[in-house]
Amino acid sequence: MADDQNSDFAAILRRNGLKIPEERREIMRDAVEKMQALLRVLDDPLAYEDEPAALPRYDLGAKR
Amino acid sequence: MSAVALPTLAEAGRKIAAGELSPVALAEDALARAAALQPKLDAFIEITAERARAAARRAEKEIAGGRRRGPLHGIPYGLKDIYDAAGLRTTAHSRLLLDNVATVDAETTARLEAAGMILIGKLATHEFATGGPAFDLPFPPARNPWNPAHFTGGSSSGSGAAVAAGIVPLAMGSDTGGSIRLPAAYCGTVGLKPTYGRVSRRGVAPLCYSLDTTGPLTWTVEDAALSLQVLAGHDPRDPGSADMPVPDYTAALRDGIKGLRIGYCRAFNADGEVEAEQFAALDQAAQTLARLGAEVGEVTLPPNAQFQACARTISHSESFTIHAKDLQEHPELYARVTRERLMLGAFVSARQYVQAQRLRRILTRRVDALFESCDVLLTAVIPGPAPVLEETDDGPWRKQQPLASVFNVTGHPCMAQPCGFAANGLPLSAQFVGRHFDEAMLLRVGHAYEQEAGWIRKRPALATL
Repeated sequence: MADDQNSDFAAILRRNGLKIPEERREIMRDAVEKMQALLRVLDDPLAYEDEPAALPRYDLGAKR
Repeated sequence: MSAVALPTLAEAGRKIAAGELSPVALAEDALARAAALQPKLDAFIEITAERARAAARRAEKEIAGGRRRGPLHGIPYGLKDIYDAAGLRTTAHSRLLLDNVATVDAETTARLEAAGMILIGKLATHEFATGGPAFDLPFPPARNPWNPAHFTGGSSSGSGAAVAAGIVPLAMGSDTGGSIRLPAAYCGTVGLKPTYGRVSRRGVAPLCYSLDTTGPLTWTVEDAALSLQVLAGHDPRDPGSADMPVPDYTAALRDGIKGLRIGYCRAFNADGEVEAEQFAALDQAAQTLARLGAEVGEVTLPPNAQFQACARTISHSESFTIHAKDLQEHPELYARVTRERLMLGAFVSARQYVQAQRLRRILTRRVDALFESCDVLLTAVIPGPAPVLEETDDGPWRKQQPLASVFNVTGHPCMAQPCGFAANGLPLSAQFVGRHFDEAMLLRVGHAYEQEAGWIRKRPALATL
């Protein structure tokens, strides 16, 4: 793994307050790499109107 | 071992109504079976014998007094140990929740109790319904009744084992990426993942808010219909619960499938790296449906990689968010496989999460479009029979992505059910998928196939002892 990826990996762990035992670090780095490879499809551009928002159900309060 | 011949939910209900079967005898049989098979299967975290006996006596008295509540009254069931049942521990199979005693029933538990069912015990799961089978937890992983050396599938592992072994005719599971359908498939039972929002999740330990679904594992499709009848319905205190009418799920069960249009997602088998004997079993299932009068044609799902990217991104992000504090403060309390898989969520960016939610909408629309020319889809749910338990993938990143999470992404109802046996004697499985909130159609097709194919007539050897 490249040095910048190594430092990204370490920074994300530090920022999230996570610790990984030394003997599992390489396995976890490899797992992250494989996950990012799968997630590459999410880089494909989408149209503006392809949005995830859904209307919150404000009516529920009255039914409780 | 048994004085009662493994009745299904429907058979037990009919016999109790006719006065031919006693709820007390049925509960005693389930308890004896649970205790006798526990050393082989490790299906239970806790067997609730005294509670079950008291409930069975109460049910027997009510029924004898002419106050039968319905077709599930007096029949044993089990709960995956992420469901709350007041007065009992909900451990989620984790060291973190060993002392977590529920004070209120989950909505689903409350509905089953109100229907008069008898809780036999809390069932093994993968820790917090994620991770995988682990040997570094306070409870061992469940084992497959067809061959205890093999994996049950998960995460509703104890639920699959308990139903397949004939301990209970209904066990509750939860499904975020296949966790009802995978154990159903590997253990040769029926596993129904209802439409997202159809059954309440309140009182069930969350894994991923956007994908979590609750539902039953049963031996037959008719039993799945009877269970869903009680479980389905709006829960205003679950923000993910849909306010939709609940139809009669058994009304059209025996209408047959003549003229119905079945879309066989055959190309998905190759896309999902399905093994030859599972592939052949699905082809055979398609032929059986055609023989029953359905119009079977091939249809194409979007690429599996798109579904997997969505499912993994959403699931890892949300489950990491739920567990972040415990992962920071008590990482040693998790099983190694759970801890590492949960930690992957830290490496998903906000941009990826939003993109996954956007792509989810697009994929849902594309699957919805298939239902303009089909009533039900037929797809693979597992690549092949259950692997050996000790050889299951326990790395942080799964070598093979599950096929089942496709319909967690889209929210469609789907059901795994047996479609044959592999050369090693382990079950194979087919998945039927329906339109949103059209579980009735799904159950109708599944029932017709089940009756014609006859796979349910074969039980694991240890279930018939």
